[in-house]
Amino acid sequence: MSSGVTVADACKTTFEEIKKDKKHRYVIYFIKDEKQIEVESIGDRERSYEDFITDLQKEGPSECRYGVFDFEYTHQCQGTTEASKKQKLFLMSWCPDTAKIKKKMLYSSSFDALKKSLVGIQKYIQATDLSEASESAVEEKLRATDRN
Amino acid sequence: MTTNVYGGDEVGAIVFDVGSYSLRSGYAGEDSPKAEIPSYIATYLDEGDKENGGVETMETEDSSNISKSSRRKYLVDSCGIHVPKPDAEIVTYMKDGLIDNWDLFEKILDHAYAQYLQTESRYHPVLFSEAPWNNDRSKREKLIELAFEKYDAPAFYLVKSAVLSAFANGRSTGLVLDSGATTTSAVPVHDGYVLQNSIVRIPLAGDFITSQCKKMLEEQQVEIIPSYMIGSKEAVKDNDTPKWSKKPRLPVVGQSYHEYMVKEVLQDFQSAVVQVSDGLYDPDVVATMPMVHYEFPNGYNKDFGGERFRIAEPLFDTSALTGLEAAMGSMGVAQTVSMSANMCDVDLKPTLYNNVIVTGGNTLLQGFVERLNRDLSAKTPPSMRLKVVAASGPSERRFSSWIGGSILASLGNFQQMWISKQEYDEGGKSQVEKKCP
Repeated sequence: MSSGVTVADACKTTFEEIKKDKKHRYVIYFIKDEKQIEVESIGDRERSYEDFITDLQKEGPSECRYGVFDFEYTHQCQGTTEASKKQKLFLMSWCPDTAKIKKKMLYSSSFDALKKSLVGIQKYIQATDLSEASESAVEEKLRATDRN
Repeated sequence: MTTNVYGGDEVGAIVFDVGSYSLRSGYAGEDSPKAEIPSYIATYLDEGDKENGGVETMETEDSSNISKSSRRKYLVDSCGIHVPKPDAEIVTYMKDGLIDNWDLFEKILDHAYAQYLQTESRYHPVLFSEAPWNNDRSKREKLIELAFEKYDAPAFYLVKSAVLSAFANGRSTGLVLDSGATTTSAVPVHDGYVLQNSIVRIPLAGDFITSQCKKMLEEQQVEIIPSYMIGSKEAVKDNDTPKWSKKPRLPVVGQSYHEYMVKEVLQDFQSAVVQVSDGLYDPDVVATMPMVHYEFPNGYNKDFGGERFRIAEPLFDTSALTGLEAAMGSMGVAQTVSMSANMCDVDLKPTLYNNVIVTGGNTLLQGFVERLNRDLSAKTPPSMRLKVVAASGPSERRFSSWIGGSILASLGNFQQMWISKQEYDEGGKSQVEKKCP
């Protein structure tokens, strides 16, 4: 079940630029005129996770957004001495509990459309407050699928 | 028209949220439903007397049922059913959360269009909600048929109520706990789809609490006199015998009618007095809680103390159940949630526990959400984080699926989701299985 909101081609293009070319660190999407998901802002490679969270909330606590982030961390397999660097792409839906009900409805019912058009996301995260969107919470979720 | 997508979004869609207690109806895009009509209808045999002029507009005749001298008449909506008629009985079109009597349901829809929406059905696309466990193909096809054949709607859509509630709370994945009049259900929703096989339902909900209230008042020998019987009353002191007189020339109503009116009094009592205890019910603890004063329609009034906590306790602790209910072997509210989550895929479980969405009129019982939170934290696996969300306003809680439907149906792009009249004409009623998951 979804809202019928469509995904602009630019969303996919920017996502591919992160996935293949590692051109950006993150991208923020928004829904324009309740009709189409479009790119709102792009974060450079040097930008941090905090910048991502700040950009996600730029329009205040009553707004919702989506974001893709290229997350890097180190992972050490059990029984090995060398830690390996890992990169994972996650897609987050940011619908804070403080958002207007209309926005929540619009963004949550359109999430599936975005999910389907971005191929190669490793983790989907549904965040409704800052603790769920925090770097540690996200890292925990990404690590959950790693082998020990 | 060259395409078979429904094209007109200039006319507002109509949203119907069907429940066991009431039907919520209104225009898409509005904040709350225009009308909430009881799912109960009064019916009686009209013996041809014409003295009931004032309520004539509320009545609809069932032409198929005309016998020699008497016709069966139906009174809908709260102002209709509150007029006592000789041998009147109360019936409902709902059964098990689903529409069961279509003739009666049509009477309610007719009434909604004429009295509240004040429009003709052929101008407006119509979106219905349905119970998440409705997988009865014939019922779903019957509804789409009704919308297109009888009401001549330009477009139709059907959504599971739990999906609408989840979306309205900003979540496409979550576990919706809906406690309404007849059923409490835990329904997992994933990416906007209900996971039908993991739905857990128990019959402990609003009506059950009402029956518990009745039992408790019977034990205390409080006689419940519904308002329709009361002509006059005098103020009396606490616990004094009420002084009231019966309305003159009161018709003798049927048993179900009287019981329904008693139930209404009990429902009011329930929302004013009953409270869910914070922790496991303990007579010593609740004895220290404040008393609540309640006055019945006949003027009898008294304070209620610890017993008001005892009434709701079986919702959470089924060992408090006695008699017939205990024999049904039901489980408590928190258990339905954990059981439903446990039936889902392991990878999904953390997200479900993290997004427990509470909705439905019965959850407005004082202390319901707090107790659920407490009982559920004890059942949440230690590696997972529990988050219980509940809209704070009573109307958002009771109408969350209507509100969700209202927003969804008002979105411009939603028009490509509607089943248009043309698609129905070409593809038939099976379109509903194809387009509405």
